[in-house]
Amino acid sequence: MTNQKNIITIDQIFLKIKNKKIFENLSLSFSSEGITVILGPNGSGKTILTKLILGLQKTDKGEIKIVNKNNIKFGYTPQKTILLRRNVFDNIAFPLTMDGYKKNEIFERVNLYLKKFDIDKFSKNSARKLSGGLAQFISFVRSVITEPDILILDEPFSNLDANLKNKIENYLINHRLKRKIILVTHDVFQAQRLADEIILMDSGSMVSKSINKKLINSKNVKVKAFLNRNYL
Amino acid sequence: MEIIIKAFELILTFDKDLYEIIFLSLKVSSIALAFSVVLGLPISAFVATNNFLGKKVIKILFNSLMALPPVFVGLILYVIFSKSGPLGFFEILYTPSIMVVAQIVIILPIIISINTENLETLYKEYEDLFKIFNAKKINKITIILWDARFSMLTCVLAGLGRALSEVGAIIIVGGNIIHYTRVMTTTIALETSRGNLTLAMSLGIILIFIALILNSLALIINGLSSKYSYD
Repeated sequence: MTNQKNIITIDQIFLKIKNKKIFENLSLSFSSEGITVILGPNGSGKTILTKLILGLQKTDKGEIKIVNKNNIKFGYTPQKTILLRRNVFDNIAFPLTMDGYKKNEIFERVNLYLKKFDIDKFSKNSARKLSGGLAQFISFVRSVITEPDILILDEPFSNLDANLKNKIENYLINHRLKRKIILVTHDVFQAQRLADEIILMDSGSMVSKSINKKLINSKNVKVKAFLNRNYL
Repeated sequence: MEIIIKAFELILTFDKDLYEIIFLSLKVSSIALAFSVVLGLPISAFVATNNFLGKKVIKILFNSLMALPPVFVGLILYVIFSKSGPLGFFEILYTPSIMVVAQIVIILPIIISINTENLETLYKEYEDLFKIFNAKKINKITIILWDARFSMLTCVLAGLGRALSEVGAIIIVGGNIIHYTRVMTTTIALETSRGNLTLAMSLGIILIFIALILNSLALIINGLSSKYSYD
């Protein structure tokens, strides 16, 4: 991972929301491939960081540089699932429709993914009436349907059962070299299973950034405290 | 009781004058509603999907216009369209056309205000999706209009109900001229003052019947909404 060029560079960003300091002079970068897991306790700024990268939130100061930004395709599974008032097929087809794909291409691609993830039987179901876990899974499938260059997943496993969780984990492992994946999670075990690199955040600051195996042996006091809290 | 029986007799014998009044009412209100929807929906969609200077002022203005007293609307239109008024050259005072205008002024703010609220709520919910997947302006508008179609229909029915039950404005600008600008509500007002309660009562029954139909339609739409809106 260390030899790769950075696809995202966050340069000295400052952000306050409702007078609460979120980031103060935060700088970090993401390599162009592999899975970067962002770990951290609640309120550490993980979700806002992903929103900054996606352009859903603006910084007060500082810059977020994304290589070839205008041609980069994003995929995003938000923490809070957002589904259109449509059926499952139309929800998954949404990014393709926005990209101007032809109807027959959309039909083929969506059906391929529905079968691939074994959710074709829900195709005509109302997406918003599905269980929380399945709705979150549909949101994930929608985020990968365009085969994005950068895939950002914000706690995509919170409502999922083991079966759906495995499907996502397998997808991430199989695609780690095809695209940049940024995964926000609380789960240290999952982070160690999936991550090529781990960024640990606390109170809007980056506590550590290390390749996966090194995190557990870190001598950093905050890293140790976080790991102890989560292992126990 | 006798009045009610006679009123039903008028309705069931298809009294020519009675039905002429009913059809004119429906015609004026339907045309006003059609114009209000055609004007109101794009305005609602624009306000809901854009942030611009003065947006709050526009929303407050339309919300306030919802409570505009119809007699005042009638008075203002009378002043504007009377012969000496700035738009007097149109010569539409005391015609069904000015009644349509009056009803548009009354129901357009309802259509705009309620739909803007509905569309804005949906737009805020979808906003991140639109940004992430680079939705074009036209896509955003068509998606929220389609996804909010059932709540919009309910709002349109509310507008029609308001138009049909309105009396203050159209009696001033329409003049309540027999066989020309006399509609259900203005006839009820006139005939009650004259003591001809049978005709007034029959029109009242028809108005209640229409209100029942509109409410039933609203309920059916709600039922369809839960079945077909995927919400």
